[in-house]
Amino acid sequence: MIVYIYDGTFPGLLTAVYEAFYQKEKPGQILKEWDYSQNLFSQPIYISSDNGKADKVFNAIKERISFTALKNVYYAFLSETDNGDTLIYNYLKLGFKMGKYVDGNHSHETVSRLHEICKKVAREKHRMLGLIRFRLIRGDVYYASMEPDHNVIALIAPHFARRMSDQNWIIHDIKRKTAIVYNQTEWVMTDLEITQALPIDEEEYLYQKVWKTYFDKIAIRERKNPRLQKSFIPSRYWKHLVEI
Amino acid sequence: MASFTLRGNGEMNLERKVEILSESAKYDVSCSSSGSKRKNTKGGIGNGAYSGICHSWSEDGRCISLLKILYTNYCIYDCVYCVNRHSNDIPRAAFTPEELAELTINFYRRNYIEGLFLSSGIIKNPDYTMEQLIKAMRLLRESKGFNGYIHVKAIPGADNRLISLAGQYADRMSVNIELPTGRSLSMLAPQKNKSSIIGSMGLISTRIKEVREERKTFKRVLPFVPAGQSTQLIVGATPDDDLHILNLTQGLYGRFGLKRVYYSAYVPVNTQSSLLPAIASPPMVRENRLYQADWLLRFYGFKAEEILDEKHPNLDLNLDPKSDWALRNLHLFPVEVNKADYEMLLRVPGIGVISARKILAARRVKALTFDGLSRIGVVLKRARHFITCQGKYYGERGLNEELIRLSITNTKRSFTQASNQLTFFTEEFLGC
Repeated sequence: MIVYIYDGTFPGLLTAVYEAFYQKEKPGQILKEWDYSQNLFSQPIYISSDNGKADKVFNAIKERISFTALKNVYYAFLSETDNGDTLIYNYLKLGFKMGKYVDGNHSHETVSRLHEICKKVAREKHRMLGLIRFRLIRGDVYYASMEPDHNVIALIAPHFARRMSDQNWIIHDIKRKTAIVYNQTEWVMTDLEITQALPIDEEEYLYQKVWKTYFDKIAIRERKNPRLQKSFIPSRYWKHLVEI
Repeated sequence: MASFTLRGNGEMNLERKVEILSESAKYDVSCSSSGSKRKNTKGGIGNGAYSGICHSWSEDGRCISLLKILYTNYCIYDCVYCVNRHSNDIPRAAFTPEELAELTINFYRRNYIEGLFLSSGIIKNPDYTMEQLIKAMRLLRESKGFNGYIHVKAIPGADNRLISLAGQYADRMSVNIELPTGRSLSMLAPQKNKSSIIGSMGLISTRIKEVREERKTFKRVLPFVPAGQSTQLIVGATPDDDLHILNLTQGLYGRFGLKRVYYSAYVPVNTQSSLLPAIASPPMVRENRLYQADWLLRFYGFKAEEILDEKHPNLDLNLDPKSDWALRNLHLFPVEVNKADYEMLLRVPGIGVISARKILAARRVKALTFDGLSRIGVVLKRARHFITCQGKYYGERGLNEELIRLSITNTKRSFTQASNQLTFFTEEFLGC
């Protein structure tokens, strides 16, 4: 089976899709370079990222399928699901055949599976909008850390740039060592790894304490239901919250 | 009522005030932060999130999206069911507008909340109380440049001009109906009266419509309560049945165009009163069924009369209201999933609004199969008894009501019917 290997970037994936369409022998799988391991049955072909080809595919999806399909492909890419890239490729093959009706084809396995991972990413993006907790560190910067399952950091940045427009803030994806930094004018994405403890502002301790008090008191004791609570925020998210 | 001054709470620290005033606010169950398209301003902070955002979940499993707090829990009223009633000996506290605004902004900056949910005990009189709430909101909006979500309670009986003014700063406003009948209101909360509650609701609803119309021509007109109005009913504090509650709900949506009616299962906080039922725990299953029935009214095209009637005045605790309705109307089933119209698909147990829409989209592409339905997200455990798929039926042969009911009811737990709840009410209450 032919396997396309690419550099793990979004333009890289689109380039691989481009090549797949124009080569006679189609790939059975598309994988990121760090996910590929040599074996007897696969014949690897390395695809190098090409922005020109990537742009052509980007526009083709938008024009010949739909803007929704483009968004779906991007979200599915950000999900970092196993074999997600191959699923995207199969979805696009179907999409170029069916055009804008591909997303209405809910009973088709490829379509419904792709929609499922897109929904996971969309849900996590929305969840993060609520679960991110900023801490005031000395120097007048609000810092938040997170470890999302999917790579949603760029999706949530615009929301906080609009909302917290008059404060400096940093959102840090600890798992992927990337961060968004905002300086009251614009935001940028950068690599970030923090090895020492951050200097917390004095005021921070007061507000964290008051928040924890509020959080405890607002529950109605007679309706205690920790299982229900956990079903809304799985325990893996608790690490970066203040109140639990 | 003797003259009243707010005792200086300067000595009480912020943490203690928040402890007291959130403890007192938690029985107002609305947690919505949706419906606001409010944009941030230059130099300001915050905006609305139209779909609403949940920031956390408390130990009772309820969503936390706002700082839900009382301006003060001093109160001149003595409502029997309320934890803040005048005759209760509990710690009392009060904010200053500045304290409340600072707290809200600081929580907001840390992304703990979408905004503020502000209520209050009644101090001096409804007008004075409403004025304090307006002061706090004005400080937040104008001095602090806050553009996040504000849900404010309208104090029933407050002057119309004050309520109109408050609505200019808030995204949502609500007045609690509290109890399903005027009679129970006068028994349990004699200082509140039904006509001032309904009057305030009517004023807010009219003003919302007026401003919406005005803004179509004059964009400069400030929005008034753009996220709409809601209300709350306590369920299980009185012997009123679900039929009555559902009819009231339908009437409120129809007459006042409310966004939501909330049902709050009665929590016995004041155990000394003989006017209130002595129950061991809040009627949560009943509350859940009422919410399901409420959804049927708003999203599934049902009328209250279809769900309940004189012969069945209470919702079945063991089965959701839509399935119960379907079992009482088996002559309408099974429906062919590839041909039925949207309204009929919505009536099938196991098919929700999203699945119904997906079915309509998918069957345009190709005819649906039974497996295709499960991929769409239809709950086949229930739906299979009420549909055919390309002519084939996969449910209980003969469409037998008893057998289907057995098959779809959650048999792990079973609940005693609501009618038994009448025994919790004393002679004194029922005889009046």
